[in-house]
Amino acid sequence: MTSTRPRQSLRTEILESRPVNLDGFVEEWPEKGLVAMESDFDPAPSIRVQDGRVVELDGTERADFDFMDTFIADHAIDVASAEASVAIPSAEIARMLIDPGVSRGDVLAVSRGLTPAKILDVVKLMNVVEIMQGMQKMRARRTPANQGHSTSARDNPIQVAADAAEGALRGFAELETTLGVVRYAPLVAIALQVGGQVGRGGVLTQCALEEATELELGMRGITAYAETISIYGTESVFIDGDDTPWSKSFLAAAYASRGIKMRFTSGTGSEVQMGNAEGKSMLYLEIRCILMAKGAGVQGLQNGSISCIGVPGAVPGGLRAVAAENLVASMVDLECASGNDQSFSHSAMRRTARAMPQMLPGTDFVCSGYSSVPNADNMFAGSNFDTDDFDDWNTIQRDFQVDGGLRHVREDEILAARNKAARALQAVFAHLDLPSITDDEVEAATYANSSNDYPLRDVLADLKAAQSVMDREVTGLDLVKALESAGFHDVAENLLTVLRQRVSGDLLQTSAVLTADFTPLSAINDPNDYAGPGTGYRLSGERWEQLKKLRHVTSASNPETEVG
Amino acid sequence: MSTPTATAPDRTVSLREVGPARRGTRPDEVVIALSPAFAGHFTKTIVDVPHAEVLRQLMAGIEEQGVTARLVRVLETADLAAIAHTAARMSGSGISVGILSRGTTMIHQKDLPRLSNLELFPQSPLLDAPVFRMIGSNAAQYAKGEHPQPVPTRNDQMARPRWQAKAALLHLKEFDCIEPGRGPVEVEAVFGPGTAG
Amino acid sequence: MTSASPPTLNAADYPLSINRPELLRTPTGKPITALTMDSVVSGDLSPADLRIAPETLQLQAQLAEASGRPQLAANFRRAAEMTAIPDQEVLAMYNALRPRASTAEQLAALAERLEGTYTAPVCAALVREAAEVYARRGLLARPEAGGDADAGAPAGSPAATPVTTAATAAAARADREEGQPA
Repeated sequence: MTSTRPRQSLRTEILESRPVNLDGFVEEWPEKGLVAMESDFDPAPSIRVQDGRVVELDGTERADFDFMDTFIADHAIDVASAEASVAIPSAEIARMLIDPGVSRGDVLAVSRGLTPAKILDVVKLMNVVEIMQGMQKMRARRTPANQGHSTSARDNPIQVAADAAEGALRGFAELETTLGVVRYAPLVAIALQVGGQVGRGGVLTQCALEEATELELGMRGITAYAETISIYGTESVFIDGDDTPWSKSFLAAAYASRGIKMRFTSGTGSEVQMGNAEGKSMLYLEIRCILMAKGAGVQGLQNGSISCIGVPGAVPGGLRAVAAENLVASMVDLECASGNDQSFSHSAMRRTARAMPQMLPGTDFVCSGYSSVPNADNMFAGSNFDTDDFDDWNTIQRDFQVDGGLRHVREDEILAARNKAARALQAVFAHLDLPSITDDEVEAATYANSSNDYPLRDVLADLKAAQSVMDREVTGLDLVKALESAGFHDVAENLLTVLRQRVSGDLLQTSAVLTADFTPLSAINDPNDYAGPGTGYRLSGERWEQLKKLRHVTSASNPETEVG
Repeated sequence: MSTPTATAPDRTVSLREVGPARRGTRPDEVVIALSPAFAGHFTKTIVDVPHAEVLRQLMAGIEEQGVTARLVRVLETADLAAIAHTAARMSGSGISVGILSRGTTMIHQKDLPRLSNLELFPQSPLLDAPVFRMIGSNAAQYAKGEHPQPVPTRNDQMARPRWQAKAALLHLKEFDCIEPGRGPVEVEAVFGPGTAG
Repeated sequence: MTSASPPTLNAADYPLSINRPELLRTPTGKPITALTMDSVVSGDLSPADLRIAPETLQLQAQLAEASGRPQLAANFRRAAEMTAIPDQEVLAMYNALRPRASTAEQLAALAERLEGTYTAPVCAALVREAAEVYARRGLLARPEAGGDADAGAPAGSPAATPVTTAATAAAARADREEGQPA
């Protein structure tokens, strides 16, 4: 830095040092697709159906369809209603989305016939508050939920088990892990499954890996669901990902054939990030992904930009587009796990604001990965929220009387769950003849915050054992046996009940989760019935009493003490 | 804080084309393959490390191992794996270092599949002068048939919010500098004095 | 399994595990109520007892259809057919459907195998449809490129895109969530 720089005001110096100015912002470049949702280069809506077949889609004749057009035309769009639906003025459809007098089902009757460009045309009319209104009604499951990331920078299974137990206790309905060293996967997936069932019976777990291993762990009952099945909005990027809509559809059926819940993943910004947006806006391409997922018959989608959030986050209107992509997933009747799962901003204010369009109206999973470990341990490269933010999240739920899926839990309950999870894993490892977990490690797990607070494992021995888990074909049933024989009867029962669920297939239906009493809750038996003020999901009763509790609340009856 | 800045006095480099690139015969050379916009349309990496400094460090790292560095510019692709693999197949030792304008770097070897590599440094915002020197040094050691410890990779969770969009923008610009159908060219680095940047 | 025709279900039957457990059987023919801790401990249960039966997937397809979700129902019907295919072959079939992984003849043979060996006409139709689109979009394998480990790898591979850290093609496509920025 040279001394020729002009003098700055003291105020400018302060503003320059604010965290938000560490974030990156760029100008739009619509010709290349570096634009959120308003681009002259996106196609205009159109559709023509002949002999029960779409022959023109958004200005393209069938002969010129790329594979996304073909798949969407042949699988996602209801040809019987398409021409009538596309003919409805976009403003009227946008109004239907926010009109409490129009039911979710009424909207679905129209949206099933819409083309990608028509859907874009509709949501482009909506500001962010209207998008939130739409989400409130269109979310598939009536009761919102949340998903946690439980990972370890050292891939330490004891940490993963303890943090899974705490996360489940705090309210996450799903827990996801992944690895630094991929070969650790079997041990960490076992830890997640065991720890999760200690915290709260019925929590669903997954381990994000490449397709073959992920599917294999699921087939063995070591994990319960999967979501890292990526799809893309242009043919060229889809091919770069070494897949097609048909290969992904086949994979979707493969998961269902093993009774495993599954959702796809997509998000704004991935195509332009990979340099092949074909000159289309981020949201237009994401809508193509959403309709592709719909056509594949997968029950849900993780979207909300996900790992490309830095791209829409950097352009004007980017977070409006991200909120809109969540709405579109919901308005075509898919389960939506709505992002908020990747490091997004240096600014705490901006991090919070980013989540409001999902947290306030509620989505099927407000975060598709709230880091239930410190971000330094988050092997998904960091989330928008982590363990440090638990109390802030709980306070915001209480302030606005909204259900973000979590709750404050007393320290003694948390310590008990962490300790029990570590002991249960200790017993499972012993039963399966895996490298032993010491009492010191159990003690550390009980009180730890991060992976730095644990004794180091013998990594080579663990990796060898991880391989043996695969070679010996250890299954979820072996985990049940181990837990039962070690006296963890309740945990064993919880896990057996989760495994039994795959025989019933109930968790394959849209937006399904398991409640604490093992009732499958999905868009079928818990449909979103929002119809204006006083209807739909309302935070009340026992759940509201839970959310009133915080770490420090002064007692009204005795202000010299705190409640809880 | 993830704000590395230029560590050396700013200097400039220009690349002078000396003809079509050809396969090398010296077993003691590493080919450094530059992307279409490197030291041309662009002059510095995503975190403002001057391309002159990047090249100086890579070459110094190679030469301090007693190995020769040869420069090639790849014009028909901005795909790092393709750039690096093309260069590896031209390298007398079979080892190359490929680099994009924004700084993303890869060490490649001619017998590996194109989508594989020896070492990849994907987080361009974390690459500074000392890292480039270590990359050069490691590439030279591979060329000598040695098995160096991989250059330690760094990770910064906040690189996404700060740099992801700019990286995308630089990627798009680099794509615009592609010259389809033009084969790789041999280039010479002409270093000049620094200008205030 | 009995040969009685399957019952007709509607949304009120969901969840089957609670409202209609009598309809649920394992692929080995056990009722779902037999999946007890006692049977686990006594070793009466095998992993095959914890798989979903094709009949159950057809029931769930009915529920999806009754709930206005025809695509989800179609997915369940494909899945019902796939229950008969061994795990490794399912994965091999998936890999065969990747871009430029199979020739037209190979895809035709795959469709025939699905139809003939596994009585999976809905899956076979999906494969035939893919083959038609792949032919039109240049996504069939080029027969002469077979020996190259790198065959069919697309230009502009994800390995060098800003978002990806992965060092191999497999890891590069594994999951966008694992990608590192910039």
